[in-house]
Amino acid sequence: MPTETVSEHRTKSETEQTRSGAFFRPNVDIAERQDELVLRADMAGATGDSIDIQFEDGTLTIHARVPERTYGRSLLRQEYGVGDFYRTFRVSEQIDPGRIAAEYREGVLTLRLPKSEAAKPRKIQVAT
Amino acid sequence: MSLIPWLGKQDGNGTGRTTMTELRNEMNRLFDNFIREPFGAIGDSFAAWGQVMPPVEISETDNEVTVKAEIAGVDPKDLDLTVNGDRLTISGEKRESKETKEDSYRQRETRYGRFSRSLQLPAGVDPQQVTAEHANGVLTVRIRKSPQAAAKKIPISTSR
Repeated sequence: MPTETVSEHRTKSETEQTRSGAFFRPNVDIAERQDELVLRADMAGATGDSIDIQFEDGTLTIHARVPERTYGRSLLRQEYGVGDFYRTFRVSEQIDPGRIAAEYREGVLTLRLPKSEAAKPRKIQVAT
Repeated sequence: MSLIPWLGKQDGNGTGRTTMTELRNEMNRLFDNFIREPFGAIGDSFAAWGQVMPPVEISETDNEVTVKAEIAGVDPKDLDLTVNGDRLTISGEKRESKETKEDSYRQRETRYGRFSRSLQLPAGVDPQQVTAEHANGVLTVRIRKSPQAAAKKIPISTSR
Protein backbone atom coordinates (compact mmCIF):
# COMPACT_ATOMS: atom_id res chain seq x y z
CA MET A 1 0.00 0.00 0.00
CA PRO A 2 1.41 3.39 -0.89
CA THR A 3 2.08 5.61 2.06
CA GLU A 4 0.98 9.18 2.27
CA THR A 5 4.13 11.17 2.03
CA VAL A 6 2.72 14.65 2.31
CA SER A 7 0.17 14.95 5.00
CA GLU A 8 -1.27 17.87 6.71
CA HIS A 9 -0.02 18.91 10.05
CA ARG A 10 -2.66 20.94 11.76
CA THR A 11 -1.74 21.16 15.38
CA LYS A 12 0.41 24.22 14.99
CA SER A 13 -2.16 26.36 13.28
CA GLU A 14 -4.65 25.45 15.92
CA THR A 15 -2.52 26.57 18.80
CA GLU A 16 -0.17 29.19 17.46
CA GLN A 17 -1.85 32.54 17.11
CA THR A 18 0.41 35.48 16.62
CA ARG A 19 -2.39 37.96 16.51
CA SER A 20 -6.07 38.06 17.13
CA GLY A 21 -7.11 37.77 13.48
CA ALA A 22 -8.15 34.45 12.04
CA PHE A 23 -5.86 32.32 9.94
CA PHE A 24 -7.20 31.01 6.70
CA ARG A 25 -6.30 27.71 5.23
CA PRO A 26 -5.47 28.06 1.54
CA ASN A 27 -6.72 25.45 -0.89
CA VAL A 28 -3.78 23.41 -2.07
CA ASP A 29 -2.98 21.05 -4.92
CA ILE A 30 -0.02 18.73 -4.57
CA ALA A 31 1.34 17.09 -7.69
CA GLU A 32 3.94 14.41 -7.75
CA ARG A 33 6.46 14.29 -10.53
CA GLN A 34 9.38 12.01 -11.10
CA ASP A 35 11.92 14.24 -9.39
CA GLU A 36 9.89 16.76 -7.46
CA LEU A 37 6.69 17.55 -5.61
CA VAL A 38 4.84 20.63 -6.79
CA LEU A 39 2.55 22.36 -4.35
CA ARG A 40 0.19 25.09 -5.47
CA ALA A 41 -1.76 27.19 -2.99
CA ASP A 42 -4.48 29.69 -3.81
CA MET A 43 -3.70 32.73 -1.71
CA ALA A 44 -5.48 35.68 -3.24
CA GLY A 45 -4.63 38.99 -1.64
CA ALA A 46 -1.19 38.05 -0.34
CA THR A 47 1.92 39.71 -1.71
CA GLY A 48 5.12 37.92 -2.67
CA ASP A 49 7.19 39.56 0.04
CA SER A 50 4.67 38.75 2.76
CA ILE A 51 4.96 35.00 2.29
CA ASP A 52 7.10 33.08 4.69
CA ILE A 53 8.01 29.51 3.79
CA GLN A 54 9.86 27.23 6.14
CA PHE A 55 11.01 23.69 5.82
CA GLU A 56 12.37 22.11 8.94
CA ASP A 57 12.54 18.51 10.10
CA GLY A 58 10.18 17.40 7.39
CA THR A 59 7.58 20.05 8.21
CA LEU A 60 6.69 22.57 5.58
CA THR A 61 5.05 25.75 6.79
CA ILE A 62 3.45 28.39 4.62
CA HIS A 63 2.45 31.66 6.20
CA ALA A 64 1.34 34.72 4.27
CA ARG A 65 0.64 37.91 6.12
CA VAL A 66 -2.36 39.67 4.67
CA PRO A 67 -3.41 42.99 6.11
CA GLU A 68 -6.93 42.91 7.41
CA ARG A 69 -9.68 44.96 5.83
CA THR A 70 -9.50 48.62 6.54
CA TYR A 71 -12.97 49.90 7.08
CA GLY A 72 -14.14 53.47 6.66
CA ARG A 73 -16.42 52.26 3.94
CA SER A 74 -19.59 50.33 4.39
CA LEU A 75 -19.58 46.70 3.40
CA LEU A 76 -22.64 45.70 1.42
CA ARG A 77 -21.67 42.11 0.78
CA GLN A 78 -18.88 40.04 2.19
CA GLU A 79 -18.29 36.56 0.91
CA TYR A 80 -14.72 36.00 1.92
CA GLY A 81 -12.66 36.67 4.96
CA VAL A 82 -9.44 38.64 4.89
CA GLY A 83 -6.49 37.65 7.02
CA ASP A 84 -3.32 35.57 7.10
CA PHE A 85 -3.00 32.31 5.24
CA TYR A 86 -1.40 29.52 7.18
CA ARG A 87 -0.92 25.84 6.58
CA THR A 88 1.61 23.22 7.53
CA PHE A 89 2.41 19.88 5.96
CA ARG A 90 4.42 16.86 6.97
CA VAL A 91 6.67 15.81 4.15
CA SER A 92 8.04 12.38 4.86
CA GLU A 93 9.71 12.19 1.48
CA GLN A 94 13.39 13.07 1.23
CA ILE A 95 13.48 16.65 0.01
CA ASP A 96 16.52 18.68 -0.85
CA PRO A 97 15.80 21.80 1.23
CA GLY A 98 18.50 23.84 -0.44
CA ARG A 99 16.77 23.62 -3.80
CA ILE A 100 13.19 24.41 -2.80
CA ALA A 101 11.92 27.10 -5.15
CA ALA A 102 8.91 29.35 -4.67
CA GLU A 103 7.05 31.62 -7.02
CA TYR A 104 3.97 33.77 -6.42
CA ARG A 105 1.86 34.92 -9.37
CA GLU A 106 -1.71 36.11 -9.65
CA GLY A 107 -2.56 34.96 -6.18
CA VAL A 108 -1.09 31.49 -6.51
CA LEU A 109 1.98 30.30 -4.67
CA THR A 110 3.87 27.54 -6.45
CA LEU A 111 6.43 25.59 -4.46
CA ARG A 112 8.78 23.11 -6.04
CA LEU A 113 10.19 20.57 -3.65
CA PRO A 114 12.96 18.63 -5.39
CA LYS A 115 13.38 15.07 -4.21
CA SER A 116 16.84 14.36 -2.94
CA GLU A 117 18.90 11.84 -4.87
CA ALA A 118 18.12 9.09 -2.39
CA ALA A 119 14.37 9.47 -2.89
CA LYS A 120 14.32 9.45 -6.67
CA PRO A 121 13.10 6.35 -8.40
CA ARG A 122 16.02 4.43 -9.73
CA LYS A 123 16.39 1.77 -12.30
CA ILE A 124 18.57 -0.98 -11.08
CA GLN A 125 20.64 -2.88 -13.57
CA VAL A 126 20.65 -6.57 -13.20
CA ALA A 127 24.05 -7.98 -13.91
CA THR A 128 24.00 -10.97 -16.14
CA MET B 1 -17.73 27.37 -1.37
CA SER B 2 -19.95 24.53 -2.25
CA LEU B 3 -21.35 22.18 0.32
CA ILE B 4 -21.05 19.35 -2.09
CA PRO B 5 -17.89 17.31 -1.58
CA TRP B 6 -15.72 17.41 -4.55
CA LEU B 7 -12.52 15.73 -3.53
CA GLY B 8 -14.23 12.38 -3.64
CA LYS B 9 -15.02 12.60 -7.31
CA GLN B 10 -11.56 12.32 -8.70
CA ASP B 11 -9.83 9.90 -6.49
CA GLY B 12 -9.19 6.34 -7.42
CA ASN B 13 -5.84 6.98 -9.04
CA GLY B 14 -4.10 5.24 -6.19
CA THR B 15 -3.12 8.28 -4.18
CA GLY B 16 -3.25 6.10 -1.11
CA ARG B 17 -5.33 8.50 0.91
CA THR B 18 -7.30 6.65 3.46
CA THR B 19 -11.01 7.20 3.76
CA MET B 20 -10.61 8.70 7.22
CA THR B 21 -8.00 11.18 6.07
CA GLU B 22 -10.20 12.09 3.18
CA LEU B 23 -13.19 12.56 5.38
CA ARG B 24 -11.22 14.64 7.83
CA ASN B 25 -9.81 16.81 5.07
CA GLU B 26 -13.25 17.30 3.64
CA MET B 27 -14.70 18.27 7.00
CA ASN B 28 -11.87 20.69 7.62
CA ARG B 29 -12.35 22.19 4.23
CA LEU B 30 -16.08 22.64 4.64
CA PHE B 31 -15.58 24.18 8.02
CA ASP B 32 -12.86 26.54 6.83
CA ASN B 33 -14.78 27.49 3.73
CA PHE B 34 -17.78 28.24 5.83
CA ILE B 35 -15.76 30.64 7.95
CA ARG B 36 -14.04 32.15 4.98
CA GLU B 37 -17.07 32.38 2.75
CA PRO B 38 -20.12 32.40 4.98
CA PHE B 39 -22.52 33.60 2.30
CA GLY B 40 -20.92 31.71 -0.51
CA ALA B 41 -21.29 28.50 1.43
CA ILE B 42 -25.03 28.80 1.55
CA GLY B 43 -26.06 31.00 -1.33
CA ASP B 44 -24.07 29.41 -4.07
CA SER B 45 -24.08 25.81 -2.96
CA PHE B 46 -26.31 24.68 -5.78
CA ALA B 47 -25.31 27.18 -8.40
CA ALA B 48 -21.66 26.37 -7.85
CA TRP B 49 -21.98 22.65 -8.28
CA GLY B 50 -18.71 21.62 -9.79
CA GLN B 51 -17.90 25.16 -10.82
CA VAL B 52 -15.56 27.93 -9.91
CA MET B 53 -17.46 30.69 -8.19
CA PRO B 54 -15.23 33.53 -7.08
CA PRO B 55 -16.29 35.08 -3.79
CA VAL B 56 -16.91 38.83 -3.87
CA GLU B 57 -16.96 41.75 -1.53
CA ILE B 58 -19.01 44.86 -2.26
CA SER B 59 -18.47 48.07 -0.36
CA GLU B 60 -19.31 51.71 -0.86
CA THR B 61 -18.32 55.20 0.12
CA ASP B 62 -20.23 58.39 -0.59
CA ASN B 63 -18.66 58.63 -4.04
CA GLU B 64 -18.07 55.12 -5.26
CA VAL B 65 -18.92 51.47 -5.10
CA THR B 66 -16.09 48.95 -4.96
CA VAL B 67 -16.43 45.32 -5.95
CA LYS B 68 -13.60 42.93 -5.17
CA ALA B 69 -13.42 39.35 -6.31
CA GLU B 70 -10.91 36.71 -5.27
CA ILE B 71 -9.74 35.02 -8.44
CA ALA B 72 -6.41 33.40 -7.65
CA GLY B 73 -4.81 31.81 -10.66
CA VAL B 74 -6.91 33.56 -13.30
CA ASP B 75 -4.94 35.23 -16.05
CA PRO B 76 -6.21 38.83 -16.54
CA LYS B 77 -6.47 38.03 -20.27
CA ASP B 78 -9.13 35.47 -19.44
CA LEU B 79 -11.27 37.96 -17.55
CA ASP B 80 -14.29 39.73 -18.90
CA LEU B 81 -16.06 42.58 -17.20
CA THR B 82 -19.31 44.26 -18.24
CA VAL B 83 -21.58 46.83 -16.66
CA ASN B 84 -25.13 46.90 -17.87
CA GLY B 85 -27.30 49.38 -16.01
CA ASP B 86 -26.87 48.43 -12.39
CA ARG B 87 -25.57 44.94 -13.09
CA LEU B 88 -21.91 44.12 -13.06
CA THR B 89 -20.89 40.83 -14.62
CA ILE B 90 -17.52 39.25 -13.95
CA SER B 91 -16.78 36.24 -16.06
CA GLY B 92 -13.72 34.36 -17.08
CA GLU B 93 -11.88 31.13 -16.93
CA LYS B 94 -9.36 29.67 -14.60
CA ARG B 95 -7.22 27.64 -16.92
CA GLU B 96 -5.06 24.74 -16.16
CA SER B 97 -1.77 24.54 -17.99
CA LYS B 98 -1.05 21.49 -20.07
CA GLU B 99 1.72 20.56 -17.70
CA THR B 100 -0.45 20.64 -14.59
CA LYS B 101 -3.29 18.89 -16.33
CA GLU B 102 -1.09 15.90 -16.93
CA ASP B 103 0.32 15.78 -13.45
CA SER B 104 -0.73 13.09 -11.05
CA TYR B 105 -2.09 14.53 -7.84
CA ARG B 106 -1.91 13.53 -4.25
CA GLN B 107 -4.25 16.24 -3.24
CA ARG B 108 -6.57 18.53 -5.18
CA GLU B 109 -8.55 21.30 -3.62
CA THR B 110 -8.56 24.06 -6.21
CA ARG B 111 -10.99 24.30 -9.09
CA TYR B 112 -10.56 25.11 -12.72
CA GLY B 113 -13.02 26.10 -15.36
CA ARG B 114 -15.32 28.89 -16.45
CA PHE B 115 -17.15 31.15 -14.09
CA SER B 116 -19.58 34.02 -14.32
CA ARG B 117 -21.07 36.16 -11.63
CA SER B 118 -23.62 38.85 -12.12
CA LEU B 119 -24.04 41.31 -9.30
CA GLN B 120 -26.64 43.92 -8.58
CA LEU B 121 -25.00 47.24 -7.80
CA PRO B 122 -26.51 49.79 -5.45
CA ALA B 123 -28.67 52.40 -7.16
CA GLY B 124 -27.11 55.54 -8.59
CA VAL B 125 -23.87 54.24 -10.07
CA ASP B 126 -22.52 55.68 -13.30
CA PRO B 127 -21.75 52.83 -15.74
CA GLN B 128 -19.53 55.18 -17.73
CA GLN B 129 -17.11 55.59 -14.88
CA VAL B 130 -15.72 52.20 -14.10
CA THR B 131 -12.10 51.31 -13.45
CA ALA B 132 -10.74 47.85 -12.84
CA GLU B 133 -7.45 46.58 -11.55
CA HIS B 134 -6.07 43.12 -10.95
CA ALA B 135 -3.35 42.39 -8.43
CA ASN B 136 -2.28 39.28 -6.52
CA GLY B 137 -5.33 37.32 -7.52
CA VAL B 138 -7.80 40.00 -6.49
CA LEU B 139 -9.87 41.92 -9.02
CA THR B 140 -10.95 45.36 -7.85
CA VAL B 141 -13.67 47.21 -9.76
CA ARG B 142 -14.52 50.78 -8.84
CA ILE B 143 -17.70 52.38 -10.09
CA ARG B 144 -18.33 56.04 -9.37
CA LYS B 145 -21.71 57.11 -8.20
CA SER B 146 -23.46 59.67 -10.30
CA PRO B 147 -23.39 63.12 -8.70
CA GLN B 148 -27.11 63.08 -7.99
CA ALA B 149 -26.68 59.88 -6.04
CA ALA B 150 -23.78 61.06 -3.90
CA ALA B 151 -24.94 61.68 -0.39
CA LYS B 152 -26.00 65.22 0.14
CA LYS B 153 -26.20 66.91 3.44
CA ILE B 154 -29.66 68.34 3.86
CA PRO B 155 -29.92 71.39 6.01
CA ILE B 156 -32.73 71.27 8.50
CA SER B 157 -34.48 74.49 9.07
CA THR B 158 -35.73 75.23 12.50
CA SER B 159 -38.72 77.31 13.28
CA ARG B 160 -38.78 79.32 16.38
